[in-house]
Amino acid sequence: MSARYGMVIDLDRCTGCGSCMMACAAENNVPPLQQATVRTGLTPMLVRKVSNGLEGAARREAFIPIMCMHCEHDTPCVKVCPQQAVEVDKATGIVMQMPQRCLGCRYCMTACPYHARYFNWWDPSWPAGMEKSLNPGVAVRMRGVVEKCNLCHARLHEAKEKAAATGKREIDPADYVPACVEACPTGAIRFGNLADRNDPASQDARSPEAFRLLARIGTEPKVYYKSKEAWVRALAESKSGHGPETGSEVQHG
Amino acid sequence: MASAVFSDSRWIARGEERTSLSRFLFWLAPWAIVLVVGIYAAGLCLYYGLNQTNMDNRFAFGLWIFLDLGIIALGAGAFFTGFLVYILKRSELRPILNTAVVVGFICYSGAVAILMIDVGQPLRAWFTFWHPNTHSMLTEVTFCISCYLLVLCLEYVPILLRSRQLRKLPSLLVFEHQLHKLVPVLAGVGTLLSFFHQGSLGGLYGVLRGRPFAFRTGFFIWPSTFFLFILSAIASGPSFLMLVAATVEKVTGRRFVPQELFRRLGFISGVLLALYVAGKSIDTLIWLNFTSPSEGFAPWQYYSHKPFGTPILFAEIVLFGLLPAFLLTYRRSAARRGWLLSAAALACAGVLLNRFVLTVQTLAVPTLAFDEFLQYTPSWQEVASFAGVIAYGVIVYSLSYRYLPLFAPSRGENTHVSGD
Amino acid sequence: MKVTRRDLLVWSAGAAAGLVVTPVPWKLLDDSSIWSQNWPWIPQPTRGPVEVKQSACTLCPNGCGMRLKMAAGWPVGVAGGSSHPISRGALCPLGFGAHQLNWHPERLRTVRRRATTSSWSEAKAAFAKACSEGPVVIIDGYPGRAASSVLESFNQKRNGSYRVVLGRETRALAPYEAWSGVPASALGYDLENAQTIVSFGAPLLDGWGPPGRFTRLWAERVAGAGPQLRLIQADGSLSRTATRAWRWVPVQAGCETALAAGVARVLLEERLVLARGPMPPLTLVDAASQTGLTTDAIRDLARTIVAHPPAVAIANDDNPAIAALNVVLGAAGASGGIVRRSKPATSYVGADAAIPSARAVLIDSSVPWDFARQTDAEVFRFAAWDGGSSKADWLLPAPGFLEELTDVPTAPTSAIETYAVAPSLVKAPAEVQSAAQFLSSIDPTLTTAEKIIHARCEDLFRGRIGTLIGRDRTSVAKLDSVQKFEEQLWKGAVWVGERSRPDGLRCELQVWPTAATSARPESWSATWPAPVLPPLASKLYKESSLREPPERRNA
Repeated sequence: MSARYGMVIDLDRCTGCGSCMMACAAENNVPPLQQATVRTGLTPMLVRKVSNGLEGAARREAFIPIMCMHCEHDTPCVKVCPQQAVEVDKATGIVMQMPQRCLGCRYCMTACPYHARYFNWWDPSWPAGMEKSLNPGVAVRMRGVVEKCNLCHARLHEAKEKAAATGKREIDPADYVPACVEACPTGAIRFGNLADRNDPASQDARSPEAFRLLARIGTEPKVYYKSKEAWVRALAESKSGHGPETGSEVQHG
Repeated sequence: MASAVFSDSRWIARGEERTSLSRFLFWLAPWAIVLVVGIYAAGLCLYYGLNQTNMDNRFAFGLWIFLDLGIIALGAGAFFTGFLVYILKRSELRPILNTAVVVGFICYSGAVAILMIDVGQPLRAWFTFWHPNTHSMLTEVTFCISCYLLVLCLEYVPILLRSRQLRKLPSLLVFEHQLHKLVPVLAGVGTLLSFFHQGSLGGLYGVLRGRPFAFRTGFFIWPSTFFLFILSAIASGPSFLMLVAATVEKVTGRRFVPQELFRRLGFISGVLLALYVAGKSIDTLIWLNFTSPSEGFAPWQYYSHKPFGTPILFAEIVLFGLLPAFLLTYRRSAARRGWLLSAAALACAGVLLNRFVLTVQTLAVPTLAFDEFLQYTPSWQEVASFAGVIAYGVIVYSLSYRYLPLFAPSRGENTHVSGD
Repeated sequence: MKVTRRDLLVWSAGAAAGLVVTPVPWKLLDDSSIWSQNWPWIPQPTRGPVEVKQSACTLCPNGCGMRLKMAAGWPVGVAGGSSHPISRGALCPLGFGAHQLNWHPERLRTVRRRATTSSWSEAKAAFAKACSEGPVVIIDGYPGRAASSVLESFNQKRNGSYRVVLGRETRALAPYEAWSGVPASALGYDLENAQTIVSFGAPLLDGWGPPGRFTRLWAERVAGAGPQLRLIQADGSLSRTATRAWRWVPVQAGCETALAAGVARVLLEERLVLARGPMPPLTLVDAASQTGLTTDAIRDLARTIVAHPPAVAIANDDNPAIAALNVVLGAAGASGGIVRRSKPATSYVGADAAIPSARAVLIDSSVPWDFARQTDAEVFRFAAWDGGSSKADWLLPAPGFLEELTDVPTAPTSAIETYAVAPSLVKAPAEVQSAAQFLSSIDPTLTTAEKIIHARCEDLFRGRIGTLIGRDRTSVAKLDSVQKFEEQLWKGAVWVGERSRPDGLRCELQVWPTAATSARPESWSATWPAPVLPPLASKLYKESSLREPPERRNA
C-alpha cells in the first residue's frame, strides 16, 4: 500500500524562530559555510517573512517555511532532469534527489517554481574536527550538485529497519518524523500520509483554511499551508491574484 | 608576400594571395591574449567551482547559457545552408558553404566547451547518455548537439584536407574524395539533428510549467517555442553568414562573395524572419490571453519591472523582427549593401534578444507572490570565458581562411567566383 | 607490402570493435563515475553504532531536555527531550547546533594572558596572589548549580563577593522581592492557569524562558485544546510575538510604564478589580499622550484584560510599574499569576549592583559575553568559546558542551521546582578546567561540584516528595534507594516538585512605585543567552532574511 507523505503547516502558529531550519541543516549535514549569501546559500528548509504590505498599526506579518513541495503531477524537476537524477518514489510520494548522479546542470532549479532547490556552489567543509559531529545516516554532497529537502528519507530508512528488526511490515508512524516537524516548538508543521483519510495531516489538508502555493500551475504540491487570515491565504497565488477569468481550463500535460 | 626568415607560403593554397606572416600574427595576437585570459578564467571555474561566477540559486542559468543558445542559433547557418545546397539543390549558395561549415564548427565547439564549464560536475557529462530521460528536452539537446558536433567535424575534415600540404598525401586525398561522397548524407543527417536540437532548445523553456513567463502550450509534446526557435534560427543563420562574410571581406580588403549571393541570403533570411514574426505574434497573443492567465499570472505583472517593460516585447517583434524582415526582402533596400548588412545585424540581434528574454528574464521574473524581481550581473570569469570562445572562433576562422581555400571553388565543380 | 585504404579501414574497425569487448573502456567509465562521486577531500561522517542518550542542554539556564544521538563517542544529532515537563521536547534554534559547538573555530583551548599563551599554573599563581592582596568578586551567569555553590562558598571564607547575572525573566520578578521579601529566584509564572496574558514587550514566543514552555502551551490553546488563552502583546514594533498574538497593542517604545499606569488607573476607577489600590499618579490623558494610544484605547485594553480572568502582566525586564499592575490585577500570589515555588531560595545580588573596589574579578564561563563592566581589577575570564575581543587579563579555557558533569536547577519562569543532571557525555580536551574546579584546586577545603550534586540527590530522595519524569513517571516516595534515584536522573529523567501554593506570595504595596526602570539595551544574547553562536546558526541567518546576526561583543 503506497503512501503519499505530505505536510500541513499552520502559518498562524509559525513564529519564525528558525528551529526547523537549524534542525534540518544539522540532520542533513549541511556545511556551515560562512561565505554564502541569501542567493547562494543552502537551506533545504527556508523560512520566509511575508507581510500584508501595509504600514503602521495595520501591518500584519507572518512566516512561511518553504521546502520541496514534493509535487505529484508532472513533477517539474523530475521531468526535466537529463539523467534521471531525481525521481518520485512510488511507495512514499517523496521526490528523491540522487546527488551522486547529478551533473550540476541546474535545469531542475530553473524548473522549480518554489525555488526549493539549492546548488552546492562550494566544496563542503567544516571547522577542524567538526566532521565527527556529522549525521552518519546522510551522505555528504560534493560541490557542483543540486540538493533539496527529501523529507528526511534517512529517518524513514531507520524506521523501516526498526520495523524489520521486529518482524513488522509497516513502520510505526511515530518512528518517522522529519527533523523540522520534530523541532518546531509550536507544532506548526504537521506531517503525515495524505493518502490515509484518517491521518490528522490529511484531515488538515482538506480543511477550508488550507491552501497550496501556486496551485493553479497544476504541479499538485504535497505541502499544504493553512491560516485563518485571508491575507495570508491570498499569498497562495501570484501577485496578480487569481488572474482574469478567461473561461479556459487549466492546461495539464 | 613579404620575404621573412620564416615564411608559411608553402601552406597557403596555390594561386591565393595572403598577407605576410608577421602581419597575420599581429592580427592574431590580441585574440590570442583574449583566448589565454579566457582559458585562465575557465580554469578558475573548473578548479574552484562555480562560486567563481555570479550565478546563484535564483539565476541558475546566466550569461553562459544565454550566449550558448545565442551562438547555436546563429550557427544554424551551417546546417541550413547545407540543406539548401545539397537537399534543395540551390547551388548558387555554394561559395558560402565552406564558411558556413567553419562557422558552424566554431559555434558548436565553442558552445560545448562552455557547457562543460557550466556544469558542476563535468566528469559526469556522460551520465546523460547512460541514464537518458526521455521526457527531458535537455537529454534531447545533449544527444543531438553531440551528434551534430560530430557531423560538423566530419564536414570540416574535407575542408581541412584541402590544405596545400595535406593534399600532397595520396591516402588523405583518397580519404577526402570518399568523404566528399558522404557530404550530402551528412547534410541530411545534420538537418535532421539540427531541426531537433534547435527546437529542443526552445522546448527547454517552453515546457517549464513552473515559469509561466516562459511556459507555452503547443503541438503534442512540443511547446510553441520549439517551432519558433527553429524558425528564428534558420532565419538568423543566413544573416549571420552574411555578416561573417562581409567582415572577412572588410578585414582582408578583398571580395569573395558576389553581391547577388548576399541578396539571396538576405532574401531567404527575410522571408523566414517574416514567417517567424507572424508565428511569434500569434504565439504571444495566445500566451498573454490564455496560457498565462490560466496559470494564475496576469501578463501585466511580467512587464511591470523597469526597465524590462513592454518595450522589450516591441523590440523583439517589431524593431528586430518585422523591420529587418522588410529591409531584407524589399527590392530597394536589399539592393544596397549597407542596408542589407544592417538588416542582417538587426536580425541577429533579434535572435539574441529573444534568447536573452527567455533565459535571463524568465529567471528574473518572480513566481511566488512574495518574491521580488531579481538582478544579475555576470562576473569577470564568465565574461572572460565567453570572450575566450569568441577569440577561439576568430583564430580558427583566421587560420582556416589563411591556409584553406574557403572561398575557392571545390574540386569537380564549375562554379565561377567573380568579384563584385 | 602496400597498405591500402581497405586495410586501414578494416584494421581500425577491428580495433574499435575489439576494444569494446575488452574491459578497458567500461572500466574507465566506471572509474570516472566512481571518482567523480567520491572526491577524497569530502568529509565523511563518523561510522559506528548509534546510541541515544537523554540529557539536558547546558548552554543557558533554561536547561531544556535534550535527546542526543551518539556515534563512536561523539554527538551526531540532537533533538528536544520530549518527556521534559517544562521544555516539552522543544529546543531553541541554537540548541540544534549545540552538538557541533565543541569544534567551533573560536573554541578556547589554551590559557591566554592578554595576547600571549600562558599556563594554568601561572594563572593559579596570579589568582592566589590576587586573593591575598584584596577582595575578589566572582560573577556567575547560571546561579543555582552545584558549581555555583562552589563559587559562592569560595568567597564566604574571604573578603569577597559573589554576584550573579540574571536573565531578564528573573529580573522582571525583582519588584516582588522588594514588596514581599521572597527572593526573585524563588518566584515563577503560573502561565498554565492564566487565561489572559498581557506582555509588555516580553518576547514570549521568541526567546523567553525555556523555548517549549510557553510556545507549546500557546499553540495548544490556539488550536482549541483547553480554555482559550488570550495573548495581548503591547509592543513598540511588530515583533514575532506581536504578529502571532491575539491582539497587538502598538505602544510607543519605552512607554510600557505609562501604559501599565494607565491600565491600572482604569481598572481601579471603574472598579473592574477587587483591589482598591495603589492608584498610579499618572492621569489617563497623560498616559495616552505618552503611549501614543487614545484614552478609549486604554480603557478598552483594561476591560479586555479582565474580561477573561485570571489575567497576568509580564514585563520584559525589571519594571516596578508592571509589577504593580499585577498587584492591582490580583495576579501577585494567585493562580495564573506570579507564584512562589516550593523550595526556599537565596536572594542574589545582581552583578549590576556596584562592584566594590575589587582586586580581581573572576567571571564564570556561564556569563554571557555582552556582560561588560568597566573595572581596573585583574579579570580572570573563564570561557569555552571566545565571544569577542576580550578585555580580560586572563582567558581561561572552560569545558564545552557536555564535557563535564553539571546539574540543572529549576529554569527561570517555571512555576514548579525541577532538578536534573547533565552527565559528561563527551570527553573533555586536556587543557580545560571549569571555574569551580579551578577554585577547588586553590582551596582544597571546598567541596567539589560532583559531591554537591550527589548530596542534593540524597536530599531530594530523602524528602520523599515529587516525581521523576523520564520514560515513565515514578513517584520519589516509591523509590528504594538513592542509587535508583540517581540512576534515573543520569539517564535524563527530571525530578519535579509539587505544584506551588499560590498564596505563598503576599505583596505589600501601598504606593504606586516611581522607581525608574533599568532599561537594558536590547542585546541579542537576551533572546537566547547562549555563550556562542553555532556556525550553522550564523550561516543560516546570513542565508535567510530571518534574523540579523549579532555583532561581535567585547567583554
